[in-house]
Amino acid sequence: MVVSVPDSPPASARVVSAQWLAMAFVVVATALFVLYPIYFLVQASLDVGAPDTRPPTAYGLDNFAALPNYSTIMLNTLVVTFVATIMALVFGFLTAWILTRTNVPGQRTLEQLMTVPYYVTPLLGALAWSLLGAPESGFVNQLWRRLGGEGALIDMTSPMGIAWVMALFEGSVAFVMIGAVMKSMDPSLEEAAQVVGASRLRTMLRITLPLVAPGVLGAAIFVFAEMLGSFSAALVLGTPARFYVITTAIYQLVSQYPPRIPLAAAMGVSLFAVMFLMLYVYRRVTSRRSYVTISGKAFRPRVMDMGWFRWVLFALCTLYILLSVVLPVATLVFSSVQRLAVAFPTADNFTLDNFRTALSLNAVRSAMTNSIILGLLTATIGVLLTGLLAWMIQRSRLPGRGVLEYLVMFPQAVPRLVFAFGMMWAWLVFPIPIYGTFWVLLIAYLTVFLPLGVRTISGVIMQLDRSLDECGQVCGASWGYRLRAITIPLLRPGLLAAWLLIFVASVRELGASILLMGPNSKVLTPAIVEAWFSTSTELTAAMALIQTLVIGIAMILFVVATRRASQQGG
Amino acid sequence: MKDGNKLRAASRRAVVKGGIALAALPLATVFTKRASAQGRPVTKVLDFTTGADVAKAEAEGEFLFYTHDSEPAAAGILEAFSKDFPKIKGKYIRAQNGALFSKTIAERSAGNFSVDVIQFSEPATALDFQKRGGYTRYVSPQTDAYATEHLSNPVGDYFWVGVTFAGISYNTEKVKAEDAPKAWKDILKPIWLNAANVKQSTSGMQFVQWYELRKLYGDGFWKEFAKLRPRGFDSRVQLFDRLAKGDDKICALAEYAGYLLHKEKGAPIAFVTPDDGMPAAQLLNGVADKAPHPEAARLFVDWLMSNRGQSHYQNNPYLYYGSVRKDAAPMPGNKRLKDFKLLAPSDMDHFMASRDAFNKEWNAMLGLL
Repeated sequence: MVVSVPDSPPASARVVSAQWLAMAFVVVATALFVLYPIYFLVQASLDVGAPDTRPPTAYGLDNFAALPNYSTIMLNTLVVTFVATIMALVFGFLTAWILTRTNVPGQRTLEQLMTVPYYVTPLLGALAWSLLGAPESGFVNQLWRRLGGEGALIDMTSPMGIAWVMALFEGSVAFVMIGAVMKSMDPSLEEAAQVVGASRLRTMLRITLPLVAPGVLGAAIFVFAEMLGSFSAALVLGTPARFYVITTAIYQLVSQYPPRIPLAAAMGVSLFAVMFLMLYVYRRVTSRRSYVTISGKAFRPRVMDMGWFRWVLFALCTLYILLSVVLPVATLVFSSVQRLAVAFPTADNFTLDNFRTALSLNAVRSAMTNSIILGLLTATIGVLLTGLLAWMIQRSRLPGRGVLEYLVMFPQAVPRLVFAFGMMWAWLVFPIPIYGTFWVLLIAYLTVFLPLGVRTISGVIMQLDRSLDECGQVCGASWGYRLRAITIPLLRPGLLAAWLLIFVASVRELGASILLMGPNSKVLTPAIVEAWFSTSTELTAAMALIQTLVIGIAMILFVVATRRASQQGG
Repeated sequence: MKDGNKLRAASRRAVVKGGIALAALPLATVFTKRASAQGRPVTKVLDFTTGADVAKAEAEGEFLFYTHDSEPAAAGILEAFSKDFPKIKGKYIRAQNGALFSKTIAERSAGNFSVDVIQFSEPATALDFQKRGGYTRYVSPQTDAYATEHLSNPVGDYFWVGVTFAGISYNTEKVKAEDAPKAWKDILKPIWLNAANVKQSTSGMQFVQWYELRKLYGDGFWKEFAKLRPRGFDSRVQLFDRLAKGDDKICALAEYAGYLLHKEKGAPIAFVTPDDGMPAAQLLNGVADKAPHPEAARLFVDWLMSNRGQSHYQNNPYLYYGSVRKDAAPMPGNKRLKDFKLLAPSDMDHFMASRDAFNKEWNAMLGLL
């Protein structure tokens, strides 16, 4: 790698000050975003005073003492979360490996299609699979019975059904996170293994998998936390079977009168323990060895020739896309053009009224614009913020950088619905009046998506050899220049993946938005979930399809724009 | 000693004053109404009277409405109001009743007073909000069209903007008419094992049904029902959606409004009006204390109480709330509230005190505990 040295190397004092200034800003902003709401959340979990009185009139541990009453729900949550995480990681790792390390046909198209499940609001997937796999009315089961079968062929309302739906849609997150790491991997190690006679499967398991372990572990932690806070699938599929997880239980507790927010906060705070145990394991594993795959030695990303087997791999990827994108979207299109969604509709049941109603709602139109603007801002600022954070955690010599890693994981450790209360209380009493405005949503999104950005970018940073940066330093390049000329170009796949993930996550955000939206800052996903509660499955399907289409168009524009920019930039 | 005498004297005066106030209580409503009518000039706008200063309301230009109602319902209400008053823009925030209450209380505790008009879906919440001084007392000139029991005590804090009521509904493809429940006790039959649905404890309507049927048939009623392992959902739409598709055979809390909405879509469902009456829950609406747009808020409440607003609440398919206004037009289906035998709590203190017991029993019944 050639590093061009700036004409006038900056003085070391200025270098240090720029670096430390940026780091200080990032640390202060992160601490404010995360610890400030956490303080209120912990305060609420200890609130045993008069209901709905702020600040609390008495403190105690009664809310935590009541948690064993909900042990079944806790167990349900852990079982579904573990099963779904394992399934999602298998989907994500396999598809990432196939699409980045093999010569599978249609690789580019498949890769783009693989991210589509993530564009889709989780409610859409849950709704679609509920329409397909409800024991009585599910389309698949109706078809099964019409063909002479008895009972239900599939039951999506079972715990395994819920885990399946969660994994199917989170699998694409795992794919993006692991794929970013695999793309940055020097293939020479895999080639060396094959030269000494290792089979392709053995190479994947013994070389590729260990090398991308940080990315896989990072994805595992993130996906696990996502599953822990997953709401839509458990709500749509679990409630009919009287199967509750922690998020659906919390939702009931905060929605009923009198709202039991202190108990919900205690439930949320108790999840910190689970999350931090996961993070501890991650840090232990990743600190033991080096995962560097990008060094000063040049490499060209090459893929393995899989022979005829590449068609099997192609079929596997196609099947995943079929189950996670084509089938759910087709089901929702089919349902959204009916008055009452059934498997075998009569001609007079078809209508376009649901789309007409969805598009006529003023609130939906303005919400859509707000969601897109917030998505763009959150993703752009978020990548900057989380990129610096990831760099500080993985590369700097900042004292207490380990604490910083735990700190950024806080928002992921608590279900969003509960964390939103902490944020609401915090920003309500903040001296600058931003509560109820667009800006509080931006802060909330930046806060809740810190873990997503940091995990995605950290995985790639760990693959970078320190010597590259040190080489620039020896040549007298400033910290900012090295970041611009060496680190960022090498991190490009990870940064783009993080931008994409944060953008989509922002547009489909639900939990934090419900409480923090103001009358002029409404966003779309709460409106869609609300439609499911209060209008009809068919109208909800139409709204969710419109949202997916809008996100899809925004993504295409982004991809085209970045491609054009990179071409212009040479 | 001197201070002590003063205190006793003051206490005696207070007792006399209190006695007079107590004696005058039956007349308080009338006096308040008159005072209001005299205190604020009443003007006629469109076809209803208002105590709001319409010019000032238009100068305020906007107001914020907090409601438990759905997104399309809230949007529809404000759109209808805006058609009548195009210079006033209504904005809204909606949330489930409990979350809405928490959000509002948190905002007010922090000195944030942005809401103008607020609507809750159950009396316990409205009474709690009233006790916390959440309402601005405004006695609308429309008050005369409402019976005293449909207004807050004291008058002017909130009013019954609508009433929702529930019977039983069944899927006509899964249940023969002769097997369908005819009275509330029929929902206890073992044939409805794993086939009945109700609402979650988040529902004010569900609380009323639990309270009223318990009063009629004793504590054992719901214990028997629990053996059928009913399924609980958050909204009437979900209940009827499952019923229409055959996922459940009966809906044990079939709100008439939900039934109408799905029947219009051609769902194979039928509605049963039990002879023993139908539980009814009121929706309560009032002007919030320290409303930043007080005149627009008053105008909106007057409009809601008038036949124009009430007609919207009765005919909007996302609402279909019955009106308690004395001269209200019939609901869709050409029926008025008085045509139904409704069961509503009369002893509000006892009703409110039962909420915890309900939450515990209901959550346990639905598998939440």
